[in-house]
Amino acid sequence: MTTRAAHADIRRATGRTPRRRWSRALGLTANSALAWFVGVVFAFPLIWTFFTALKPSSEVFGQSIEFIGSEVLWSNFATAWAEVRFGRLLLNSLVVAVVSTVLTVLIATITGYAFSRLRFRGRNSLFVLFVITLTLPTEVAVIPLFLGFDAVGLTDTWTALILPGLFGAFGAFLLRQFMLQIPFELEEAARIDGASRWRILTGIIIPLVRPAMSVLAIFAFLGSWNGFLWPLIILNSAEKWTIPIGIAGFSTMTGTRWELLMAACVLTIIPVVILVVVAQRQLVAAIGAGAFGGR
Amino acid sequence: MSTSEALRGRRRRPLSGAGWVGWAFVLPGVVGLVVFVIAPMIASLALGFFNATLLGGTTFSGLENFTRMFRDQQFLTSLRVTTIFVLLYTPLNIALSFAMALWLRTRLAGRAGLRVLFLIPALSPMVANAAVFRLILQEDGAINSILALIGLGPVPWLSDGKWALTAIILVSLWQSFGYNMIILGAGLDSINPDVIAASRLDGAGTIRRLFSVTLPLTSPALFFSTVLTVIGAWQTFAQAYVITGGGPGNSTMTIMLYLYRSAFTFQELGYASAIAGVLFLIIAIFTLGQIWGQKRWVHYDY
Repeated sequence: MTTRAAHADIRRATGRTPRRRWSRALGLTANSALAWFVGVVFAFPLIWTFFTALKPSSEVFGQSIEFIGSEVLWSNFATAWAEVRFGRLLLNSLVVAVVSTVLTVLIATITGYAFSRLRFRGRNSLFVLFVITLTLPTEVAVIPLFLGFDAVGLTDTWTALILPGLFGAFGAFLLRQFMLQIPFELEEAARIDGASRWRILTGIIIPLVRPAMSVLAIFAFLGSWNGFLWPLIILNSAEKWTIPIGIAGFSTMTGTRWELLMAACVLTIIPVVILVVVAQRQLVAAIGAGAFGGR
Repeated sequence: MSTSEALRGRRRRPLSGAGWVGWAFVLPGVVGLVVFVIAPMIASLALGFFNATLLGGTTFSGLENFTRMFRDQQFLTSLRVTTIFVLLYTPLNIALSFAMALWLRTRLAGRAGLRVLFLIPALSPMVANAAVFRLILQEDGAINSILALIGLGPVPWLSDGKWALTAIILVSLWQSFGYNMIILGAGLDSINPDVIAASRLDGAGTIRRLFSVTLPLTSPALFFSTVLTVIGAWQTFAQAYVITGGGPGNSTMTIMLYLYRSAFTFQELGYASAIAGVLFLIIAIFTLGQIWGQKRWVHYDY
């Protein structure tokens, strides 16, 4: 008997067969409506942000909840672009995030391959070291990192901004798990044909773990895009700032122009929303598997 | 060459031959991890025993930084504030995440859409989320306007210490629970439906089933998300930095924010490293304590 049929039997045996279809439909509707109501309440801050970004400055605060002001100022986005120097911030964040992503995935793939496929002395102890760092609070180490980059004269550079983020153990760990699932016979056959390890990695392994690599790429991109503490510490000059530093600076300024700040927030969150919606299936699977730790 | 050496050589060859290649592949990742993750962490612990400033030199100061910490009212306040934050935020986060994960498993239209919606803030820039809340938590902001509609408030979210810490906790929950919701949802998905069905046959009610079957069977995921949530909670920074700046009157001064101020506003890098060392120790104790305590409630074998 299939599991599904067995469950149907059990439901009948326990008297849980719904007698009337409409009560089921009513339950579904009520439950969905309630859940979506909670969803809308949850999304309210984001919705409010969007509408605030379109308001005239004098109408940001009001006695009651008004989504639309006396005018709808799409021009706020253009003003924010100029005043917060958003174009510059966006370009910086994009360059930093893309470089970080490419390098992170590259390093994690090579390291993951070594841990899953190659035998070398000390492999197991090294792997344990990697796993241990997964649970370490890495952010407490920002001061020596800063002093180290200061000693070699690299503070206020993108090199110093990008480098420390490239070597998180999560990526190598994730790709190792995926590579372990590839049958060894594939590799053996290529070995007999005289292919080098590098050829095997690029020709056989990488095409097979591409889904895992793209999930890692999304996380690396978001990690860089969202990063705050380290860029705040290492970057001085405004022309090198990433978006979060620009937003924090603009936000804590006295006499904040809220509608412009909110326009900048909308422009910052939208790429994330698009990425998360497009890749939701893979992201949910990876997070559910605990592939990227917690929040 | 003696026979035994020759034998040893032969026995080793397959391993050492592949060994070089293996090391070559693993080297960039290992060097990076050591240089940028492990060494700074060790250095951070060591630097606490020095007097270090940005421009001046570095001199050994023994335990001075640590004894100073326990006389430093601001540090003690930040320790208290962060402890309260962790102890309130973590259980609320896990309970909310678990409840929402359970709810999203009921018959529901648009389940995938809701799941993505709840996940979005967890993957968005914390700073942007914090800026949004800084706006709506203002005295004349949107949240107080809504509370006024049902006859409540106005709540002094950002001007009263207790409310400010409450606000930081609520914002952190809003931002992060979707992430744990996904982890716990996956834990629930992995439960063998036959076990649930069997407990039904045995006559277990909904509540009984939740506490005696579902919760124990989800305990590995609960453990995993609790450990990582606690680690993250101790390091809370951006929310306090953007929304309250640690105020009013240090009421939302998290350890990480005080560490940042000590190091980069007051240029006391040695003292800040000592704070980092204490924070590291606290997190290590909490993590090891949970790993030790898991025997009592986490079940891996079903």
